[in-house]
Amino acid sequence: MRIIVQNAKCQGHARCAAQAPEIFKLDDEGYILPGDIEVAEGEELSASRGARSCPERALKLDRTPAARVE
Amino acid sequence: MATKPVPDHVPPEMVRDFSLFTSPGMSPTPNGDPHAAVACAHDGPPIFYSRYNTQDGRGTWVITRVADQRKVLQDAETFSSHRSIFSSILGETWPTIPLELDPPAHGVFRSLLSPLLSPKRVRVLEPAVREQAIMLIDRIVASGTSCDAMKDFAFPFAVSTFLRFLGLSDDRLDTFVGWGKDLLHGDDAERPVAARTIVAFIDELAAMRREEAVDDFMTFIVQAQVEGRRLTDTQVRGIGVLVFVAGLDTVAAAIGFDLAFLARNLKDQQLLRSEPDRIPLATEELLRAYPPIQLIRVATKDIDFEGAPIRKGDYVSCATMIANRDPAEFECPNTIDLEREDNRHAAFGYGPHRCLGSHLARREIVIGLEEWLARIPAFRIKQGTAPITSGGHVFGIENLILDWS
Repeated sequence: MRIIVQNAKCQGHARCAAQAPEIFKLDDEGYILPGDIEVAEGEELSASRGARSCPERALKLDRTPAARVE
Repeated sequence: MATKPVPDHVPPEMVRDFSLFTSPGMSPTPNGDPHAAVACAHDGPPIFYSRYNTQDGRGTWVITRVADQRKVLQDAETFSSHRSIFSSILGETWPTIPLELDPPAHGVFRSLLSPLLSPKRVRVLEPAVREQAIMLIDRIVASGTSCDAMKDFAFPFAVSTFLRFLGLSDDRLDTFVGWGKDLLHGDDAERPVAARTIVAFIDELAAMRREEAVDDFMTFIVQAQVEGRRLTDTQVRGIGVLVFVAGLDTVAAAIGFDLAFLARNLKDQQLLRSEPDRIPLATEELLRAYPPIQLIRVATKDIDFEGAPIRKGDYVSCATMIANRDPAEFECPNTIDLEREDNRHAAFGYGPHRCLGSHLARREIVIGLEEWLARIPAFRIKQGTAPITSGGHVFGIENLILDWS
């Protein structure tokens, strides 16, 4: 599972990081760091909770298995 | 107060007899529940026009749905926040900063201030906030089995926290609370007096910090540079006034409504007292249930928005307490469920102006409830008393007399 981070939509609510600080990392102003997040096995539940808690809908879940780059 | 006529471009069928100022339950009401009272906004069309919906009696469009509020608040280009809500009380037009600036100027000032109120920074402030809560509650416990939770706890707790943030001692706390009351809940004569007093205070504080630097917020502001230049006096004032006013009333009101809810719902009270780990999640639900403010934007151009013919200059109201009762976003929105999981509430607004103090405010509420429930046994509203609630510009609660005898 992957979380697609739309940085332009992040307004620093930090609700995701409150749910799962080890998955959602913030910068010094409290906004999410750029780059999509690959979710480790076993962390799917807290990752999806964190993504679903975003008031701005800046985080999207991508449940398709990660494409393998050969 | 005279109501302004409905503009010609507003279709008569879109005008609704609804107002955060004059609808039932909005004026001071013993045992009132103004947040529940505004939930009726969802009984009609999702967007309508209210004739009288600001502190100075102006009409606004009312956006009721979360999805639509998000669209309005995320689009700062079409829906500007520059409306000089504070300075217009004085007949002036300078903006409070960053609240009433639009992008791109907004972002520059926002970045200047964000680190001071980030989640990381709030963690540093937390021990002092907790210490203050414990000190106040211990004093209440020592003095008996009843108190006025607003006067003895919510106000001194919330106001001293932000005074400390500003670098001010709290020996003038009562004076500041009085200014806030006059500004936010006062009549047409009291408001300008309070506004002038606050401006003079902030200007004087800035002058003192320019003269002699100390390690505090105002010193940071007068020394700060934006795009290589020191801030102008008006900019310093715009920031100082905003931070001062934002901290005066909102958190105290939230804590007051939360304690009133718990006083009336002993099962919920017991749940949080016996399992304090639930308090952070419960706080999100209480933020959903009892947010104190409405956000207002000004249309910068003509736009047909979800069927509403909004024209340049129209006011557009996004009341957090209405969005938070949206049945399209929240299951059983009028049920306060402290275990609610999916809860993207609107208490701190959406978009670039998301409440800058939200992280501090949230932690103040959590800490306040944790320490209160740990020290005060099962409490109720004292028999024969009735908390007085009110709607309006900032929803509020007075004289919350609690009893645990």
